Amino acid sequence: MSTDNDINYGEGDARERLLALAEQFYKQFEEGDVPQLQVPTRTKSNIEYDEDSDVWVYGDRHSTRSAKTVSGAQKLLKATYTIDFLAQQLDEDRSSTLRELYYLSESWDLDEAQFNDQDESNQLVEDLEIVSGATREDFHMRPEESGAKVMGPLLLREQTNRGDREIHCQDDVGQGGYQIPNNPDTIDFLDHDAEFVLCVETGGMRDRLVENGFDEEYNTIVVHLGGQPARATRRLIKRFHDELELPVTVFTDGDPWSYRIYGSVAYGSIKSAHLSEYLATPEARFIGVQPEDIVEYDLPTDPLSDSDINALESELEDPRFQTDYWEEQIELQLDIGKKSEQQALASHGLDFVTETYLPERLEAMGIL
Amino acid sequence: MQSTLGESGIAEELAESQRQISIAEFFEKNKHMLGFDSGARALVTAVKEGVDNSLDACEEADILPDIYVEISEKRDYYKLVIEDNGPGITKEQIPKVFGKLLYGSRFHKREQNRGQQGIGISAAVLYSQLTSGKPAKITSRTKGSSEAEYFELIIDTDTNEPEIDVEETTTWERPHGTRIELEMEANMRARQSLHEYIEETAVVNPHARVEFVEPSLDAPLKFERAENAELPAETEEIRPHPHGVELGTLLKMLEATDSYSISGFLQEEFTRVGQKTADSVLDSFRDRHFGREMAWRPPQVHEEADVAAAVRAAVSNKGKEATKSFAVAVEDAIDDRDRVAHHEVRAIVDAEADTVEADFDTTFGSTVREKATEAAWDQLLGDGETDADRKESLTSDLYPLVDEATSTRKDDAVLQGLSERLAAKFVNSEDTRHRLTRDDLADYVARAADATEEYDDATFGDTARENVVETIWDVMGTVPDDPPTVSSTADDRDAASELLEAMRETDIMSPPTGCLAPITDELVLSGLQKEFDADFYAAATRDASVHGGDPFIVEAGIAYGGELEDGGTVDVMRFANRVPLVYQRGACATTDVVKSINWRNYGLDQPGGSGIPNGPAVVMVHVASTNVPFTSESKDAVANVPEIESEIELAIREAARDLKSYLNKRRSMQQRREKQNKLATILPEMAEKLASVTGNDEPEIDEAMARIMNNVLVERTVNGETATVTIENNSDRSADLEVTEIVGAEPQDVNGANVVEMDGEWFIKWSPSVSSGETAELEYRVDTTAPSDISVEGVEDEKLTVQS
Repeated sequence: MSTDNDINYGEGDARERLLALAEQFYKQFEEGDVPQLQVPTRTKSNIEYDEDSDVWVYGDRHSTRSAKTVSGAQKLLKATYTIDFLAQQLDEDRSSTLRELYYLSESWDLDEAQFNDQDESNQLVEDLEIVSGATREDFHMRPEESGAKVMGPLLLREQTNRGDREIHCQDDVGQGGYQIPNNPDTIDFLDHDAEFVLCVETGGMRDRLVENGFDEEYNTIVVHLGGQPARATRRLIKRFHDELELPVTVFTDGDPWSYRIYGSVAYGSIKSAHLSEYLATPEARFIGVQPEDIVEYDLPTDPLSDSDINALESELEDPRFQTDYWEEQIELQLDIGKKSEQQALASHGLDFVTETYLPERLEAMGIL
Repeated sequence: MQSTLGESGIAEELAESQRQISIAEFFEKNKHMLGFDSGARALVTAVKEGVDNSLDACEEADILPDIYVEISEKRDYYKLVIEDNGPGITKEQIPKVFGKLLYGSRFHKREQNRGQQGIGISAAVLYSQLTSGKPAKITSRTKGSSEAEYFELIIDTDTNEPEIDVEETTTWERPHGTRIELEMEANMRARQSLHEYIEETAVVNPHARVEFVEPSLDAPLKFERAENAELPAETEEIRPHPHGVELGTLLKMLEATDSYSISGFLQEEFTRVGQKTADSVLDSFRDRHFGREMAWRPPQVHEEADVAAAVRAAVSNKGKEATKSFAVAVEDAIDDRDRVAHHEVRAIVDAEADTVEADFDTTFGSTVREKATEAAWDQLLGDGETDADRKESLTSDLYPLVDEATSTRKDDAVLQGLSERLAAKFVNSEDTRHRLTRDDLADYVARAADATEEYDDATFGDTARENVVETIWDVMGTVPDDPPTVSSTADDRDAASELLEAMRETDIMSPPTGCLAPITDELVLSGLQKEFDADFYAAATRDASVHGGDPFIVEAGIAYGGELEDGGTVDVMRFANRVPLVYQRGACATTDVVKSINWRNYGLDQPGGSGIPNGPAVVMVHVASTNVPFTSESKDAVANVPEIESEIELAIREAARDLKSYLNKRRSMQQRREKQNKLATILPEMAEKLASVTGNDEPEIDEAMARIMNNVLVERTVNGETATVTIENNSDRSADLEVTEIVGAEPQDVNGANVVEMDGEWFIKWSPSVSSGETAELEYRVDTTAPSDISVEGVEDEKLTVQS
C-alpha cells in the first residue's frame, strides 16, 4: 500500500483518524494550498500481488480528488460533511447503514453537499476507509445486506446489543443456520470440532448439503456465500482460517461469474483491495464446479454466452487469475464452450454431490 | 392595298407631334427612377441628396462637416431644411446647381464621391415644386463674403433651366455654408428609414457633426463628431483604366486626344499604361487587326527544297560572288530558325542584302529583295511545283502541332487527315503570305475538323479544335505592320473595337488607389463606438481591388452585445462611398454575402445554417469605389459583381474572426465565473464545516481560491509600520499590472512607486511585472491603522483575487 497512513485495521480510534483527515484539509486551506485527497485508483490495472501478505493490494496509481475542479471540490465538501457525521456517530456510539447515510445527506442544509445516488456515498465511504486506514465497521457503518449463514460444529460467543450470547452453530440454530452479524469481530470462537470450511455459492446447494447432513458427516463448517459474499462473510472465513487454522474450500457454479466469487474470497475484490489483508483468504481453494468436472462427470450444460466468453477472457487478463491452474481451466472452458451449475450434479441423483462428487474432489485436493 | 392609303401622309402627320422632350419633363414622369416614387420615400431621398451634397462640399473644401437637418410640418406640406458649413456656392452657380438637372462637377471625374450624376438635389427641387408649387429657397454664403445670397427658384421643366423668383442678399449667422429649404407633399411613414439614414451617416462619417430635427422628436437628435476624427484623405482623380472603358467612351477618347499614335494615346489617356504595356496592347491589336502570319519550318535535310539555289536564281546581275554569298547567308539564317513567317523571311533578306551591299559594294534594290523573299518563301512551302507537293510539305509541318494539341488517344491517321486538310487550306489561301486572323484560323480548323469527322469517321470535339487553334496561333508570328493611327481608328468602329478587345485581353496592373477614401478600420471602429453602446467592436479594411477597371475597397465592422437589441436578426448596415443604403436591402450584394456566411463558425446563432444571423449585433459593410456598381439609378443596392462580393466576404470574415475570439473568450470567462461562483459557495462551507469538526477558527481560503482559479492574487498584509502588497501570479502567463493603493496617511520608503497626494489621500502606484508562477512583494512604511484601498488593473476581473 502506498497511502501515507500505515494500515492497522481494527485498531486505533477511527474517530481520531477521520478527524486527522479533516485537520489535513484545514491545514491545506490555511497554507494557501488547494485542498486535495489522494486515493489509489480502484481498477483491475492497478492491483498488484503483495508477496508478504499473499493478497492483492492496490498499486501505485492514484487519483486525486482536488478542489481545483468543481466536482472535486464537491467531493471534498461531501467528505467533510460525512466526516462530521461519522465523528458524531462514533461519539454517540451509534451505527447506521450505507443507505441511511445516503438518505441522511438529504437533510444537510447545503444542496452541494448532498449525494446524488448511493453509489456516490458508498464510494466516498470506501475513500475514507482507504485514506484513514480504518474500516467502515470501525466507522459503525453497516451494509444493507448482512452476512450470510453458517452451519457446523462450532461454539461461539457474540456480543450483541442485548448482551453476550453463546451459540452452537448446529445445536442452537434452526435449519437456516447461524446468521453472521455485520461486524464479525464481535464474535469470539469458543470451541469446535471442524475439519475444514466449505463455502457454498447457492442457497439451494447449501440446503442440499445440510439436508444430507454433510456438515455432521464430515465435520464441516458450511458457509453460505449467497452470490458475491458480503464483507462480514469474508472476514469470518478469514478468521476461521487464521484463528481456527481450518482449510477453506469454495464450491460454486462452473461459470466465469462464480470464479469471481471464489476470487473475492481468496484474493479480495478490486473495490476493497485496501482491505485485502483483512478480508482475503489466499489459502482458500476451489472445489468446483471445474470445467474439467463438466467433462469428467458428463454434466448437463448450457452454452457459453458472449458475455460469458468476455468475462472469461477478461479473467485471463486479471492478475489475480494468472496462475497455471486457472489459465488451464479457463482455456478448457473456452474450448468446450459450456458451463454448468452446481445443481447440475443432481442429474446423477440427489445424493451424488454429498456421496460422490465432494468426497472425490476433497480427497483429490488432499483435504479428506 | 395598304399603299393606296398614302403612307407618306401618315409619316408627316406623325412628324408634327414628334418633338424634343426636356430632361426635366422626362423625370417629372419618371420620379421613381430617382427615388421619389412615394411621399414617404421622397422625404428620405430629399434628405439623402441634400446631406450627401453637403458632405461632399465640405470635404472638398477641407472643412469638418457640421450639418443640420430639420423636417417640420407646415400646413398640408412638410418643410425640409438642410444646412451645412461648406464653402458656399457663388451667386452665378446657385441657380444652375439647384435649378438644372444633370448639372454637376463630378460626372466626368474618376474619383470617389457620394453624388455623381448631378441629378439628386435638383430632382428634390423639382419634386417639391411639383407637389407643393412652392419654390426652393436657397441661402448660401461663401467664405469671406459679408453677406449671403438668397434665391427662390423653380425649374422650368420645358427647358431644364432655372426660373428665379427672388434674388437678393441677406444676412446669415453662418460664416460660410449653404442652406436649402424645400416644401413638399410627403409623410413621415418612413420615419424609421430616415432615422436609420441619419444614424448610419453618422457612423460612417465620424468626422461629421449631424443634428436632426423632426416633428416626433422632443429634442434635436445630435450626433457628435468622433474625437480625433479627421477629414477623409483627399482623393485624386485618376485616368481611366484600360480594363474599365466601354467602346463608346473609347471612341470619344480617340476623337478627343491630341496623340497621333495609338501607343501615345494609350500612355497618355490611361492609367497604368507605360511603353511596355502599350507595346503588348499594340501587338494584341495588330493580331486582331492584321492577323498573324503562319510560320513554317525551314526545309529539312530529307526534303529537296533548296533555299540557296532558289534565291540565287532569283537574283540577277549582282555578280556571282555577291549573289552566292547572299543566297547562302539567307539560307543559313532561315535554317537557324525553328519556324519562319513571311515577314521574317523578308527581314532576313533585308538584313543579308544590307550586309552583301556593304561587303561587295553593290546595290540590292527592293525589287531584288522582293524576288529573293518570294523565292525563299516558296522553298519553305515545299520543293515541288505542284500544290500537291506543297500540301505534303505543309502537312509535315502541321502534323507535330496537331499532335501536340490533341490527346494521345487520337488515331495517327485522324491527325494526319486533319493536318492534310489544314495544309490544303493554306495552299489554297489567297494570301500567299499566309496571314490570317485568329477567326480565320479557327474557321480553317473547323472546316478541316468537320471534313475529318465526315470522311475519317472520327470525332473532333470543340476542346480539341480549340487546342489546335491555340497551338497553331502560338507559332504564328505577329506582323510588323504599323498599326492604324489614332485618327483612322477613331473613324473605324471595327478597328476601335479590336483595340478595345486588345486592351481588355492584355494583363495590366490594377489602377492606383489614391482615388479612394476608405473610412479606415480605426474610424469604422470609432464610428461604431460612437453610435452603439456595445461590448465589442471589430473592423477590417481590405486592400484595394479592381472590378471592370474601377478600383474599390471594402470595409466591414461588427459591434456586439451591450445595449444592442437581442432576440432578432442582426442589423446589417450597408454603405457605398460613405452613403448609407436604406432601401432594397434584399437586392444588395452585401446582404447576399452576409446571408451566405456560416455565422455559426463565428459564434452567432444562425437558424438553418444560412441567412441573416441572430444576435445582439450590427454588421456594417462599406464599399468605396470610383464607380460603385448599383442595381438601379436610385442607388439603393450594390450589384452582384463577383470581385466585389468576394472582397465583401473577406472583409466581413476578417472582422468576424475577431468577434469569434471575443465570444470564445467571453464564454470561457463565463465558465470561469460560474466555476468561481460555485467554488465560492462550496469552499467556504467546507471551511466552515472543517472549523466545526476540528474545533478551530475558520481557515482563510482566498489564497487557495486564487490558486484554484489560476488567478493573480493581490494581498495586503501589515506588520507594525510596514505594509506589504504581495502579488502571486498563479496563471500560466506573465502579468503586467498597475497596482494602486490609496491610503489615508503619507507613505514612506515606497520603493520607486509613484506617489500622488490628493485631498488627504495618497495614491501609491506600482507597475510590477510578475511572471507565471512567481510572487512579487511591494513594501512600504505607513501608519498601518490608516484606511487603505487597493485597485488592480491589467488583468481581467475574473482572473484576479484581491485581499486586503
